[in-house]
Amino acid sequence: MKKLVESSGVEVAFKEVDVVTTGTFGAMCSSGAVINLGHSDPPIKIEHAWINDVEVCHPGAAVDLFIGATNMSEKHPFEYGGGHVIQDLVAGKEVELRATAYGTDCYPRTQLKTNITKDDLNQFYLLNFRNCYQRYNCAVNTSDETIYTYMSKLLPRLRNATFSGAGELNPLMNDPDYETIGMGTRIFLGGAQGYVIGEGTQHSPKNLNGTLMVKGDAKKMSPEFLQGASFTRYGTSMYVGLGVPIPILNEGLAKKTAIRDSEIMTDVVDYSVPRRDRPKLRQVSYKELKSGSIMINDKKVRVSSLSSLKMAKKVSQTLKSWIEEGTFFLTSPVERLPTDSVFKPMRQTQEIPFVVSVMHPAVTCTENEEIRAIAERIVTKSVNHIVVVDGAGKLRGIVTSWDITRAMAEGKKALADIETHNVVTAKPDEPLEIASKRMAQHNISALPVIDIDKKVLGIVTSEDVSKLLGR
Amino acid sequence: MVRLLLRFSEEQVPQPITSQVILEYKVPIAILVAHINSKGGEILAEVPDEAQEKIINAFRKRGVSVTVPKLIEVDAEKCFSCGSCVALCPVEAISIDKDLSVEFDKEKCVGSTCSICVDACPARAIKSVKQTNSEQPANNRKK
Repeated sequence: MKKLVESSGVEVAFKEVDVVTTGTFGAMCSSGAVINLGHSDPPIKIEHAWINDVEVCHPGAAVDLFIGATNMSEKHPFEYGGGHVIQDLVAGKEVELRATAYGTDCYPRTQLKTNITKDDLNQFYLLNFRNCYQRYNCAVNTSDETIYTYMSKLLPRLRNATFSGAGELNPLMNDPDYETIGMGTRIFLGGAQGYVIGEGTQHSPKNLNGTLMVKGDAKKMSPEFLQGASFTRYGTSMYVGLGVPIPILNEGLAKKTAIRDSEIMTDVVDYSVPRRDRPKLRQVSYKELKSGSIMINDKKVRVSSLSSLKMAKKVSQTLKSWIEEGTFFLTSPVERLPTDSVFKPMRQTQEIPFVVSVMHPAVTCTENEEIRAIAERIVTKSVNHIVVVDGAGKLRGIVTSWDITRAMAEGKKALADIETHNVVTAKPDEPLEIASKRMAQHNISALPVIDIDKKVLGIVTSEDVSKLLGR
Repeated sequence: MVRLLLRFSEEQVPQPITSQVILEYKVPIAILVAHINSKGGEILAEVPDEAQEKIINAFRKRGVSVTVPKLIEVDAEKCFSCGSCVALCPVEAISIDKDLSVEFDKEKCVGSTCSICVDACPARAIKSVKQTNSEQPANNRKK
């Protein structure tokens, strides 16, 4: 379609093309499966249950369970989770179910242990609250330490970037006004036919962050298109293959489905800032992201996809072949996806403190000052930490009262002999709890607060933390 | 070829140990990665299979610690070609080919001395495995 519109124009493309198939294959954490076990004898009203040591949720009556993709195994956390359980079941493997209950007159059983396969289940439905993000952030890390996120491993100082999403192949990007997608739209889901059952959670159409809620018969799905995933120090998830056929009902849709990666923009976001609204470093197109590297602040940063473009293509091609074979019929939605809903942040009735709310001005010195002068300042200002700065107020090092005491004992005169250059710092917009953890981790009692240019903004001490957090 | 990780102490750095071993045994040694400063360092070297034993002994005789690093292997069954590993690889041993599959170049990979990709694979398809001598199966190889 994209090539045809470019070579022959929208009018010709509209006449020649009936359907455009799309696809995506990415980690979709808000996925899961509903299963019905049938009744045991004597019957049990399950209170807690585990499958292959992954706790599963018991949302309804006696023997209905929900396997959440991100729930982790109690024996192998971070490596095996709900996504893997679903994949194993879909693959026909036997899994171990354990359950406990308080026991009632009608459901007397309190303990249960059995092995099951998908054939033993009455229902096994994939039921995903939020799939198929229209586009997603590109993630980077500007801090000095490697971080592990749901956007995978991010190396320090912008040494790599990750992104997710299929770009021009993404279902919602090809029908951004949701003319053909809504409740009841038949789709490719996990290797079988499934349905859109509404907008997904966090659906945010106004800024091109639409999502889908979907359902499908997992018994018919394939483990190739539903794969459990493990993200180090984040947890488990599931990769879901999802494709939507878009009927070309009008010239507008012919034009929209011709969208290219170069037209789809997303934000490069700094995941080292542990806040809801993380700093955005620039806008980038999916074309640049798929090229393997992007420029950030004049630095060439190599970038990897987290979702599989190979599998996304396979999803759209499989869907195309089903339509051509006549085994898949398009449906028109009963109700279209909303185009005006807003994704709100959480209402918080208790605010948590940030570094900026407790930091105070730092007592500073410069590198050419004598130890004696610094010792006097410690006494007159009644502090334990003196931050060493250069002429521009940028961080050079730190000196503590203990360093001064040691200098006196050892007869040292020069600041350079006692100054610590490798300073552990805090950022003003960090939650105080994280700064406090960092102090404990490094066994220190204060952190100079600096901005991105290393300019000293203040200092936060363990005393400030204990006053506020009461520890 | 077998890869060996050579660790040099502070005292060994100024000595031409690697050159001596090459000259004495007339064996070509390829240096793949080297991190050395005045405090000591490491060399990841590649030597021919048949010379493995004598080269290991030659370095050990000179007080150099020699270990056989593990190789990195990709389980093609598990890999679904997301490509998370691609940008992490410092030696560009991983790439995306024309059909969008993730390609892994064993020759370029420096093995378990790096391992940066291993814990970033969501499919857990990347593993460190022991080097095996190509002429003998792993289970009857002398350590």
